[in-house]
Amino acid sequence: MKPKQAIRINTMNASRDDVVSRLQSLGIALEKIPFLEDGYWICKSKFSVGATAEYLLGLYSIQEAAAQIPATLFTKLEDKTVLDACASPGGKTVQLADIMNNSGVIVAPELKKRKMFALANQLERSRVTNTAVYQMDAREASKMSMKFDCVLLDVPCSGNYVTDRGWFNKRSFKDVERNAGRQRQILAEAVEVTKDDGELVYATCSLEPEENELNIDWAIANLNVEVEEISCHGEKGLTNVFGRELDRSIEKCRRIWPGQTQGFFVCKLRRQA
Amino acid sequence: MAMKEIEDFMAQFNASIALDESRIVRNRNRYYLLSKKLKQQVPKGFFYVGSYLGAVKGASFFPSFLLLTMIAETKANKLVVDKKTAWLFICGRDIFKKGILKGSNLKKGDYTLILNERNECLGFGKTTCNLREETDANKVAVKNILDIGDFLRREKRQSKRQQRSRTLQSSRNMPRKPTRK
Repeated sequence: MKPKQAIRINTMNASRDDVVSRLQSLGIALEKIPFLEDGYWICKSKFSVGATAEYLLGLYSIQEAAAQIPATLFTKLEDKTVLDACASPGGKTVQLADIMNNSGVIVAPELKKRKMFALANQLERSRVTNTAVYQMDAREASKMSMKFDCVLLDVPCSGNYVTDRGWFNKRSFKDVERNAGRQRQILAEAVEVTKDDGELVYATCSLEPEENELNIDWAIANLNVEVEEISCHGEKGLTNVFGRELDRSIEKCRRIWPGQTQGFFVCKLRRQA
Repeated sequence: MAMKEIEDFMAQFNASIALDESRIVRNRNRYYLLSKKLKQQVPKGFFYVGSYLGAVKGASFFPSFLLLTMIAETKANKLVVDKKTAWLFICGRDIFKKGILKGSNLKKGDYTLILNERNECLGFGKTTCNLREETDANKVAVKNILDIGDFLRREKRQSKRQQRSRTLQSSRNMPRKPTRK
């Protein structure tokens, strides 16, 4: 199964209608994604949508539809101090800057240096001016001595075997457990650097409960957070996993089953005062 | 010092922007312009921050597209080109006289920004003739120096570099043949 290619209009650089009409005049057939404000699916294009003048001018970004959801879940982003933990390749960082209209501050740590060049390239192309990129492990975010109003946790995950043909060649279920452990460490550090009453959005492109509901259940029990209601595309989170009853509030999380989009899990947490 | 390099670069386009020097920071050879909030809040040691202005390599200043866009908003040397010319320019090609729609006052050797019909900055180049006097429409009038297609070229270069380093890495890990003595 292959999810449809999607783009997101960078409304800080151009109006939605203008970009849509420019792309249509190039012969690109677009379909509005019903659950996203600025997202469009590419239905037909004779050439790569990553090689148009409009793309190079930063008028839109290529971003998978489900991956466009997490950044839209924060209550208010303008003028806020935001942490985009695990920022590369920068699709969500640009989206955050777009929603913030380049106001406030985004701090974007990325562990791997080779990924940082692509991230910087993406920021320059999209004319993002409110972001600081650091080579840093998200598990060490507290070293920056900063507190954040909002934290986006698009944590490294195991992906999903439904949309990735080579999944079983690259990973085993042991990796899922290892990733889940690392995700908990990132989650704990993120809560540590979030201001009281601040918001955290946790997202993975995995559908393994270990990396999703079980991690959130652990966070509710061990970190000072509660799950917030969100209204977005997807189905309720699982509250019974492998015969284990989880916190009831986990049904406020959203699971997006693969189809037109990739498999995805998203959840909004609030740090309690 | 940072200001001088940027100001000198802008002067080549007969442009000047009042940049707040206290908000310009240098990281290795790269210059960035920070907003008030960024300046107040973010700690040192960043890899990239705020508006990237450009980099100094040797004696030359390599501008960012953010800086070119800022210059394009002022009264600077600009040429507006037609659709086909704009696309060819993004692909790295020079500009023929016939592709220029607006701005023909430039002399040979002038630096100029290249804009599309929507006044969006696509890059910059250097004129190879006096535009007003040149009568041959099929002659190269502007030499391409930098265009937004560079974003794709950078990615290509980057992935080639990564591929090379991966090959190097794997060849290092391979068992070596014993050398004959």
